[in-house]
Amino acid sequence: MGNSILQVTNLQKEYIGEITYKALNGIDFKLGENEFVAVMGPSGSGKTTFLNSVSTIDRPTAGEILINGRNPYSLDDEELAKFRRSELGFVFQDFNLVHTLTVKENILLPLTLDSLPANKMHQRLTHISQFLGIEELLPKRIYEISGGQKQRVAIARAVIHEPSLLLADEPTGNLDSKAVNDVMNLFSSIHTELKTAILMVTHDPYVASFANRIIFIKDGKLYNEIHRGNNRKQFYQEIMDTLAFLGGGQHEL
Amino acid sequence: MSFNHIVVQNILRDKWTYVSYFLSSMFSIIIFFLFTVIAFHPSLNSMDPGSTLGISLMLASMLVYLFSFIFIAYSIMAFLKKKTKTLGIFMITGASMKQIRTLVFRENILIGVMAIIAAIILGLVITPLFLMGAKAVLKAETFGMYIPIKAIVLTVGLFLVLFVVISKIMTRFINKEASIQLLKSDIVIEKSINSHYLLLIISITISTTLSYLLKIDHEIVVSFGILYYIVFFASILSTIYLIISQGMCFLLKIFEKSPAYMRKTNMLLASNLNAKMKSHANMLFLITILISGVFLCTSILFSSYYNVAKDSEANYPYSFQYIADPKADASMVKADVEYLEKQLSTVDSQKYFIEFKSNEDKRLGYMSVSNYNLLKNQTVSLNNNEFIAVAGNHKLAPITNIDEDHYLKHLKLASVDERNLLSTGFQQTYFIVPDLLYNSIDYPVYKTYIFELDNWTTHTELARKITEDLPTISQQRYVASKIDLYDSELFVKSVMFFIGSMLSLIFLSAAMSILYFYLQTTLLQEKEKYLGIRKLGLSKKELFTVVSKELAILIFVPFAIAITMLFVTLFAMRTMVSTTFLKVSLMSSVCFFILFFVSYLFIRKNYFKRLLSN
Repeated sequence: MGNSILQVTNLQKEYIGEITYKALNGIDFKLGENEFVAVMGPSGSGKTTFLNSVSTIDRPTAGEILINGRNPYSLDDEELAKFRRSELGFVFQDFNLVHTLTVKENILLPLTLDSLPANKMHQRLTHISQFLGIEELLPKRIYEISGGQKQRVAIARAVIHEPSLLLADEPTGNLDSKAVNDVMNLFSSIHTELKTAILMVTHDPYVASFANRIIFIKDGKLYNEIHRGNNRKQFYQEIMDTLAFLGGGQHEL
Repeated sequence: MSFNHIVVQNILRDKWTYVSYFLSSMFSIIIFFLFTVIAFHPSLNSMDPGSTLGISLMLASMLVYLFSFIFIAYSIMAFLKKKTKTLGIFMITGASMKQIRTLVFRENILIGVMAIIAAIILGLVITPLFLMGAKAVLKAETFGMYIPIKAIVLTVGLFLVLFVVISKIMTRFINKEASIQLLKSDIVIEKSINSHYLLLIISITISTTLSYLLKIDHEIVVSFGILYYIVFFASILSTIYLIISQGMCFLLKIFEKSPAYMRKTNMLLASNLNAKMKSHANMLFLITILISGVFLCTSILFSSYYNVAKDSEANYPYSFQYIADPKADASMVKADVEYLEKQLSTVDSQKYFIEFKSNEDKRLGYMSVSNYNLLKNQTVSLNNNEFIAVAGNHKLAPITNIDEDHYLKHLKLASVDERNLLSTGFQQTYFIVPDLLYNSIDYPVYKTYIFELDNWTTHTELARKITEDLPTISQQRYVASKIDLYDSELFVKSVMFFIGSMLSLIFLSAAMSILYFYLQTTLLQEKEKYLGIRKLGLSKKELFTVVSKELAILIFVPFAIAITMLFVTLFAMRTMVSTTFLKVSLMSSVCFFILFFVSYLFIRKNYFKRLLSN
């Protein structure tokens, strides 16, 4: 497992409103280098809040987050933006691609913000688009490509700057089953070949079964954790059992 | 739950969309109201509606009304566009087109009525302040507060009609297909502008040719008359539009190929401009036209205001000029001159007592060279066979054809003086002749008493009293005063100046609120887009850079185009306009730049804040 990329200690998040609501209630978690972890849990359990806290989008109420030994919440806005685009890669359920840009420009966006030399940019672009098999999409506009293609483009954008941690929030939520397979295979190969650590939130047991380890969150707390052995089918069954126990996922059976 | 309930709730639950529409409607109504308050002011009752002042007030009110019409129509359009998706949801749930139209119509009328009421109330609050300002600018003595019933009735009536008409027309524009389309996907992809460089060149060529013909006053211009100006105007408009749209298209293409494109936030900026090229071009065009209107208005009106003193002097060269008719009663003249001297004893003045003889049938004056020298403070000598022709009218050259003249036909023209000698139009031309010859001329003698004051523009009170006490009596005395002329001209010009500033204020704020509306309609889309990019790692500062640049283009490009057009026009007309005109234009441009810059900062801050808010 080696050193940890991400270390979360006693993470808490409260939403203060008419009724104060505790979304996260003390979570401790460690993500090792080159680990692929899925986060599962019923709706409203706090899994997305957890990911948002880690991805520096949503400031936690208490607790500490260290990414590569650095606390992103101690940075100012500009440093934080820089930190995000150097250390983190994001894949979202709704792709989050910029419609006014072409596919190629979308992928290059994090690099242009850092004003990388042009030849270096294109070198990386060629490499990543070959790796993800999206070369023929490059000159297209976003509205011209399908959902599965959009997610592949989003993945390319998330890894082009070689982040140490890739965060994914329901990356297959908007895709059909064929595209789900394609996208998840990509995640696997990013994990094995690019050696990037991945933290992924999903409610789909099939998608989760691609990970090495799954943590379950319930009512803002860490509920259970299961590791994958050599057999993915068996792992899938284990996930289903845990979910049945959790009580949130039965309807998906 | 009745239909009207939905109408009201639809407004209340979405107040911010309505607020900007409400505010811009209210604003135009207030302006119109204030105009009518002035126009119907009791102290202007005595004013002749056919006078320059009456006509310009009428015209200005009409212009404001017409402008409100266009402006409110535009606001409704923008507003409808923003609401298209909501309307689409209504349609999908089964509302008929008729119901949708009724809904939109009632909403607009409701907002319109509220805007009228708010504008009248707010207008009444501002009125005393406004009248005080008007009083100061117009230098009027009585311009007090009054209850402007007429103005209220007129404003309410006219704007009710306006809202009913506009709402009825606008509901026809609700597009069913577009609304439902918008439901399926939030993103509307705009068609980009095709390059039409040939069209651009043709258009520029036509416009330049037309303006050149206008400049050299070619006979084509005269023979086509008003039609020529319409064609000229249309061609200028289309050229401006083509320059903006094609220029944008061309510059973006170049920019995309440059290495700077992949630097920092440039790509985001360029793609924003690219994706909204057509609507941006329309916006730029609209703002350019509005600003050009402002510049034209102010340049013309300000300069006429500043030239009052000079124009008065050109028409009536002296502070007081008293000409006694040959048939006048000598004792009256004596008393009048004594009165004048007494009145002017307290101020610094020069006196000139001169005379000239007049051929009354042809209205030609003869003056001795010594009198001429006295009047002009100079020493010109004439040979016995020479004479000088001096203008008797402002802007009319003196007559030099003297073949018929009994006294002058053997003389030679020494020089021509085109500045009129005495008050304009009293004689056609004055011939300055050697003293000896003057004495031999057998025409009636006009004794002339001239008083010239130092700092003459400050003595308006004195001039008013003197011209009141010594009115011109035909066949007896002719009294003219440049101070008095200045005084009355200044009032008219002040009113014009006042109207001009109000109009430019309206145009300017219209330009800004149109821009504001425009930003509002795309705010949601932009917000979503930037939220996504922010997650990837775009700092607030970088976002600020992109927004700043985009807004700067929307605001300062029209400004630059309008300024360029203004100065090209001024340069082409440089022989016709005075340097004061140029100076004033330059000054007002600087003022406008400051105004623009302030509104830029304001809009930017506001927009940025709303982009980041949740």
